[in-house]
Amino acid sequence: MDKSMLGDLGTLPPEDQARMSTMIDQLQIRDSLRMYNTLVERCFTDCVDTFRRKTLDKQEETCVKRCAEKFLKHSMRVGMRFAELNQGAATPDE
Amino acid sequence: MRIGKKEDIDLFSSFLLQSIMAANSNMPTALDKEQIFGMAEKEMEYRVELFNKLTHTCFAKCVEKRYKESELNMGETSCIDRCVAKYWQVTNLVGQLLGSGRPPM
Repeated sequence: MDKSMLGDLGTLPPEDQARMSTMIDQLQIRDSLRMYNTLVERCFTDCVDTFRRKTLDKQEETCVKRCAEKFLKHSMRVGMRFAELNQGAATPDE
Repeated sequence: MRIGKKEDIDLFSSFLLQSIMAANSNMPTALDKEQIFGMAEKEMEYRVELFNKLTHTCFAKCVEKRYKESELNMGETSCIDRCVAKYWQVTNLVGQLLGSGRPPM
């Protein structure tokens, strides 16, 4: 987790800060595991559909790597836009 | 949401700060504080859930499934931006229709 946000919580008493920090850590761990699972499922479904061998062929492997990388980039972009919307920033309609 | 992404964290801070600072400034009883922490936790869970759904929905709608490259191309990028904005609008619209200003939990 990015601990820098705890600076923003600096106005809270230490015990509240610790509690928030624990809460966020737990949420992050749970969410990372969930995202790991769903990403595997997504990339497996999109990239792997022949079962002649028990190892990934080159093409499948490339596909999986691109799929994962692309999803992470997508997720970062969505995170950025989502944060803007949460902060009430209007973005111009292009 | 993933570890190490500041944007994700920023979403929470305003709501949480407001509620917890309010809790402290009013000298709440232990019970009030428990309730507020409970609410803050629910709110965080709701935001994470919303973010995950939004991410999956817009990925499905905007991103080419053949994965010819690992970069997002121009078309995908602008699709994603618009998708997020529209998903947000729909969230608010449905929230209003359900008869409250707050997002449905």
